[in-house]
Amino acid sequence: MLVSMLAIEARNSFFLASSLQLPASIRVSRTTNVLLHFHFSSLRQMNFALKFATLEISRRAIRLAKKKGRFLTGLISVVFTTSLLIVAGCDGSASVEEPNEMVLRHVLYTRIKGLDPGNMRDVYSVIVGSQIFESLYQYHFLKRPYELVPLLAEDMPQISEDLLTYTIRIKKGVYFQDDRCFTGGKGRELKAEDFVFSLKRVADIKYLSQNWSIFDNKIVGLDEFREYTKNCSSAEDVDYSRQVEGLTAPDDYTLVIKLKKPPQDGQAHWPQLCTALADISTAPVAKEAVDYYGKDIISHPVGTGPFKLNVWRRGSYIELVRNPAFRGELYPSEGEDGDAEAGYLDDAGKPIPFADRVLWTIINERQPAWLLFLQGKVDATVIPKDSFDEVMTGTGELTPEMKQRNIRLKTFRDPSTYWVGFNMADDVLSRNKPLRRAISYAIDREKFIELFFNNRHLVAHGLIPPVMPSYNPGIKEKGYTRYDPEKAKELLKEAEKIHGGTLPRLKIAMPGTDTWYRQFGQFLKRNLDTVGLEVEMQYMDRPTYQERVNTKSAQMFSSGTSASIPDAQDFLSMFYSKYQTPGRNKFNYSNPDFDRLYEKAQVLPDSGERRRLYQRMELIALEDCPAALLNHRVAYVLHHDWYKNYKQHAFAYGLSKYRRIDMAKRTAYKN
Amino acid sequence: MTAYIIRRLLYTIPIVFGVLLLTFVLFTLVGGDISIEIAGKGATAETIEEIREQYGLNKPLFLSWDSQFINHFKNALTFDFGRARDRELIIDKIKRGVGPSLALTVPMFFGVVIISISLSLVIAFVRGSVWDVSAVVICVAGMSIPYLSFILFGQYFLAYKWGLFPVFFSPDLTMAQNVALPVLIGTAAGLGGNIRFYRTVMLDEMRSDYVRTAFAKGLTTRRVLFKHVLKNAMIPIITRVVLAIPFLFLGSLLLERFFGIPGLGYLMVEAIGSRDYFVISAMTYISAILFVVFNLITDICYSLADPRVCLE
Repeated sequence: MLVSMLAIEARNSFFLASSLQLPASIRVSRTTNVLLHFHFSSLRQMNFALKFATLEISRRAIRLAKKKGRFLTGLISVVFTTSLLIVAGCDGSASVEEPNEMVLRHVLYTRIKGLDPGNMRDVYSVIVGSQIFESLYQYHFLKRPYELVPLLAEDMPQISEDLLTYTIRIKKGVYFQDDRCFTGGKGRELKAEDFVFSLKRVADIKYLSQNWSIFDNKIVGLDEFREYTKNCSSAEDVDYSRQVEGLTAPDDYTLVIKLKKPPQDGQAHWPQLCTALADISTAPVAKEAVDYYGKDIISHPVGTGPFKLNVWRRGSYIELVRNPAFRGELYPSEGEDGDAEAGYLDDAGKPIPFADRVLWTIINERQPAWLLFLQGKVDATVIPKDSFDEVMTGTGELTPEMKQRNIRLKTFRDPSTYWVGFNMADDVLSRNKPLRRAISYAIDREKFIELFFNNRHLVAHGLIPPVMPSYNPGIKEKGYTRYDPEKAKELLKEAEKIHGGTLPRLKIAMPGTDTWYRQFGQFLKRNLDTVGLEVEMQYMDRPTYQERVNTKSAQMFSSGTSASIPDAQDFLSMFYSKYQTPGRNKFNYSNPDFDRLYEKAQVLPDSGERRRLYQRMELIALEDCPAALLNHRVAYVLHHDWYKNYKQHAFAYGLSKYRRIDMAKRTAYKN
Repeated sequence: MTAYIIRRLLYTIPIVFGVLLLTFVLFTLVGGDISIEIAGKGATAETIEEIREQYGLNKPLFLSWDSQFINHFKNALTFDFGRARDRELIIDKIKRGVGPSLALTVPMFFGVVIISISLSLVIAFVRGSVWDVSAVVICVAGMSIPYLSFILFGQYFLAYKWGLFPVFFSPDLTMAQNVALPVLIGTAAGLGGNIRFYRTVMLDEMRSDYVRTAFAKGLTTRRVLFKHVLKNAMIPIITRVVLAIPFLFLGSLLLERFFGIPGLGYLMVEAIGSRDYFVISAMTYISAILFVVFNLITDICYSLADPRVCLE
């Protein structure tokens, strides 16, 4: 009987069932075989037949048990029937794809944590959330260097002469997605007050937002509001009608933000405000939704974006459908050089979004994701490390098989840097710069990139990756990250003198226990063994690793970060002494000169002066060596040729609205 | 028997208490403070303190009526497991995962049990023959192949190459279609060990005097095998089968992960990976209860299957 059930799932393979002679104790299976031996034209028909067969089996099994008194036979039949009902009844279907429906099919490699923008920080949640929620500004999809343009704002903000007051006009005719939290289930118009509410929410300590650090000590009255929430007994007691001087909505379509006074006159206190207002954490959330869903708001996103949530099966898949109430937006008509030739301007001026549905399947393992891509059931994917030779030739081109499948390759320099960090609060490492530099010189980065990234990544010569505007093109010549084992050995002798004897065994915390991390650990250990330094690799799950790093109990640690904005601030703030753990400065690094320059740069608008300060700060940090820098990531992404407008963007996530599927090509694709 | 059942049910109280105490000690004392992780990158000390307040992590561990352990105990007894680290209600997660897990494990379980018992009876009957030796060799080979190999092979050939099944969970398909291949793989992978076990059990019975007597009296092979041998072999079968049932609720870790079945196995792995002690604790507690209950059911089944077993 069971074999029969399986056989029907394999289209046209029902002969398998009859080939097995099952014993008399389960003779009821004959009934099933008869019932299920139909030639089904589609899997859906099969499911219907399965349910029908299940009910029929159930009836006959009970009758058999009653009639003949065969307890065991009856029991097994009834229990098995139950199992069939479970299988048939657990219908995991989302929407059924209509013939001409445009569906974007994506993969997420880990589950998403929640869809509440005020408390969204993990990249996968941001990817999905950015299709549902919108912020005041967004990055232009095509233009490079990256440029902010209005999204929910009517235009760029009017800034007062003292650089402290930002007046932002909100677009009219923007509506929240229809949801039962609104009267009559119809989404209401977006108002400036929604932004005020959403920003106050991030400040509310009861809400436990991970995004508060963005606004900490920036806006007049907001810190006082946070202080007030500390004294509230519960989240429900927080009064959001309480005025915040620096966050006001003089009318429905005007938002005024007042910044705190800068340390010195003539400086802007927070020149990156507009960048922050492009972050999803500032996306407006309807108060009605927050009140209606309470803590479950995390699963019930109600935004203003082009797509709205249809189904979210946590840990499995998430499906968005086109928002019928979306105000409409046009595909950009300008881009950078080469965009027209690449086809990125083919849809210029057309209304977006193009897709009817967006589906993300959560796949933790690389094999199924890769096979789905080859089957044409996923539009784009990264190249699995173990399949690299199947995809790429030695000359860096796609293999003939991939070309035959009309698969396209995109390479993209990611604004990221990876390193082995030193805990500067550690007694051995903190007072021994030669030791830290010896470790840095001992690592063969080119070999590391060859072994682990198929030669795809770039050696990190500095903190700031090459794609950032403040990248120092002369940083390689400084030689801070060159591979020089002889120099490392010399420095180790010096380090032993400083330490006052033989160096103890050092410990490196690795944020994973899988094969990749173990191989990486072996590589580091071999490099350091070569210069005579004994190290112990400590492999642990990520939460344990984070705890060790956050409590300053990890001596050395493997880590890295990506920029969230086109500014090196994300990299340099990690070395600012006021952000020591549990803040961003996991190195617990402190240098007054660095701090002084950091504070100076913070109040400067994006300019040549600010970039020069960044480069000076980078050199100070490299000289002190709080980390042995390793690599900058270069992403290699494959996509089917039907997947259009797939231009990579380092800082924007709400890009599904631009993507389009060439339906004829997709239909013609054969695995 | 009623007295026995009541006594056994009373035994569950210290067992469940022990499980709760153990999980609490492991996760609270050994696992450490999770408030920093919940707070995320760049959290301020005040946020971390607020998390400790909201999650009750700043309360005394044991020596108070409002201690963390008493609250843990109370919540478990009322099945109020609270919210997971991602702020979703844990009970909702479990309810949602049970269906897919059972959809995967129950057919697999019955497939393995029915096929392996049936085949083992046949194999035991032809013991010593080429068929018997071949079956044993195949079973040992099946046991020696890693579970992951079954998965990778099945996924690549049956799903990708031959297109008989979906490669991965698809919301456009029904659950039956989605679990078909993992069930087939799980069944195939489980047959080797089970057939060997049941064959040994059946062989022990086949050598009994009553079998020879039955044949001497002229009973048919079918009647001897299914009426007498199978019934007498029920005790080890019940032990193995009924005690396996609680694990069905926990799903299948590897199959769920490779085929994207959103069951409890996946939930447990995710919880362990993200150190979500709230979820792990709830799942451990439910597993413990299921295990105790099915232990009791096993004992009751003994007396049903064999009248010589008397529960006092």
